[in-house]
Amino acid sequence: MTRNPPRTRGPSNLLAGLLWTSPWWLGFLLFLAIPMGWSLYISLCDYSLLQPPVFIGGANYQRLASDPVFHQVVRNTLVYSLLSVPLSTIVAVALALLLNQSVRGQAFFRACVFLPTIVPLTAAAVVWMWMLNPQAGIFNQPWHWAGLSPPNWFNSAGSAMAALVIISVWFVGSPTVIFLAGLQEIPEELYEAAMLDGAGPPRRFWHVTLPALSPVVLFNLIIAILTAWQIFALPYILWRGQPGPDGGAYFYTMYLFDNAFRFLKMGYASAMAWIQLLIILLMTALIFLASRRLVHYRGA
Amino acid sequence: MNIRSWLLALVLIAPAALLLAFGPRGRVEIPDNRRVIRYWEKWTGVEGRAITDLVDRFNNTVGAQRGLFVEYNAVSNIEQRLLIATAGGDPPDLAGLIDSRVPQYAAQNALLPLDDLVRDAAIDLELLKPIWLELGRYDGKLYALPSTPFTIALYYNRTLFRQAGLDPDRPPQTIAELDQAVERLTRRDEQGKITQLGFTMSPAMLGWWSWVWPNFFDGRLWDGQRYALDSSAGVAAAEWIWQMRERLGRQAALDFEAAAGPIESAENPFLSGRLAMVFQGPWMANWIRNYAPSLDYAVAPFPSSTTGRRHVFASADVFVIPAGAKHPRDAMVFLAWMQRPDVLEELCKRHGKVSPFRTPRSAFFDGHPNPFVRVFDEIASSPDAFGFPGMPMWAQVEAELLNLMQTLLRGNRSPEQAIRYTQQRIDLIVNEYQHMAAKRRGEQ
Repeated sequence: MTRNPPRTRGPSNLLAGLLWTSPWWLGFLLFLAIPMGWSLYISLCDYSLLQPPVFIGGANYQRLASDPVFHQVVRNTLVYSLLSVPLSTIVAVALALLLNQSVRGQAFFRACVFLPTIVPLTAAAVVWMWMLNPQAGIFNQPWHWAGLSPPNWFNSAGSAMAALVIISVWFVGSPTVIFLAGLQEIPEELYEAAMLDGAGPPRRFWHVTLPALSPVVLFNLIIAILTAWQIFALPYILWRGQPGPDGGAYFYTMYLFDNAFRFLKMGYASAMAWIQLLIILLMTALIFLASRRLVHYRGA
Repeated sequence: MNIRSWLLALVLIAPAALLLAFGPRGRVEIPDNRRVIRYWEKWTGVEGRAITDLVDRFNNTVGAQRGLFVEYNAVSNIEQRLLIATAGGDPPDLAGLIDSRVPQYAAQNALLPLDDLVRDAAIDLELLKPIWLELGRYDGKLYALPSTPFTIALYYNRTLFRQAGLDPDRPPQTIAELDQAVERLTRRDEQGKITQLGFTMSPAMLGWWSWVWPNFFDGRLWDGQRYALDSSAGVAAAEWIWQMRERLGRQAALDFEAAAGPIESAENPFLSGRLAMVFQGPWMANWIRNYAPSLDYAVAPFPSSTTGRRHVFASADVFVIPAGAKHPRDAMVFLAWMQRPDVLEELCKRHGKVSPFRTPRSAFFDGHPNPFVRVFDEIASSPDAFGFPGMPMWAQVEAELLNLMQTLLRGNRSPEQAIRYTQQRIDLIVNEYQHMAAKRRGEQ
């Protein structure tokens, strides 16, 4: 005996569906789609927030193309993301592997790795300011012990970037936890099979762990790129809102913020925001493209 | 639920309930039949207490008589919040800003001109030193009244002066004398590393105002149309900075400056005796009292290149009424009360600032937290006193001038190249602004 499907009442079902999904689509419209549309429009305007926008076409984008400060912040942010994202990912995977070992005090070590993530950024920045102080900083002790002059972390563009990349590793707690969860999902049989085939730890890591972990690596890479392109608070605190030595600690979002709220050039800042979105989309697309060959989904 | 669960729930809920019933209130209780004046300020801590005491006094006296009530709110990032509130059509009735922002906001019609309101409120502007009014003017109109003004002067370490064979009672009188003092006050170790620095303009070492130096070479670079960095004063200042760095040794100076500790600590280079002279404001005395109470120091006007001229950088926190404020006339009642010498001087004294009045009351100086307040006060009367350039696009120009300072300190470009490059950047900023302003006027 076949059962007839329940009769649907088109318009009232649609209404009910819209009503029940309204928290999402209303929020999406009000807090995302409309503001994005508005920001796209004002990116084509001269707009200070305080006076009505004046349409100027693509002038903001043209100016950005010839703005040396814009070029500098793009360069700085790109270099920062190219250095900090792979380094943080490698450190996070390494820490996750260590934390996955069954040792006494495992929970304590896991808490220690995660702890910096919940320390307020301002407090962490002040602590790092002291740790990197050329005279009293604990981070410079190895140089002192070796009888060498430690680098002036805050006083040249290169060392400022190096300092920020080092500090970025401090915040690997979140990706480490995600990698740890990923490691615990890898079936034990895969390791047993590899061991039967005579694979030692390095080969097991290379041929089992890494491929099985690759979807998690992909996820973390994308999140890390998003975070790197939005770096703001850390350099802002360390260099007290200034661009740092030779502008070496001036990043994309800082310049965007300055244009919006210090220079009152909201149109220019909106143009920057759209370019930032495009850059991030492009980088994400490139990673997805590369991931087709490198990421292995179980069962795929 | 068992008894343990009930107890646990009680332990968690009881404090929350008590807090709700008896805890602090987010809003001030406003007495009935009072019109509320919303006042936003940036001050917290000691400075916040000083203004809230005065607000309470107003509310209990004049406010009670006139049916007004000032609701004080300390707001972080006040500039951004005021901007957004004004753009959103719901600004406060009164706000505290830094004077450098006044031209920018005034040019955007975000502030109410105060000339008529001041006249109607019978505030006697003649009582104020001219410079403090000048800071609040833009395009011929008054947009701001001073709240806590300050001048910047030369703090110098008398002990280090004595050790260098300099007369601690005779600070440098000209830029040339300052250069000589820097030579003698700078010390190096055997490897040539600087261990004590005479003076630096570096932003890393309390040199907060990178743009001021051409003013001490008799220049006022903004004429209302162009910021003439390439004028003789601009070039002379750049050359001076460049040459001082050459004499100190660029890398040695940079290495020394990299180790500067936080300013509000005993690691402040002037407090720790590593920096002999510094260009700073009256608040420096608070840090000295807290972190280096035995420091033997004095304060003098910063020297100028020309003998006999006394260029003085003056700035102020100011009161403004945002455009769109609901009760501007009520706000003026409070402002008129605040502008009374006894009231405003109490605020300035508690903030460690100078008096804005031509003739401060003697009580103002008695027990003032800065022992050299008379110096700061006196130099504000100089005919050569100057404030931030009245440029609506100043924030952008200032960023370029900070870059120029970094370039000169690091020696990335020669002074001529650096000035040429920065001048081009500033011309572009000014021209773009003027072009858009003209376009807007045309549309109106």
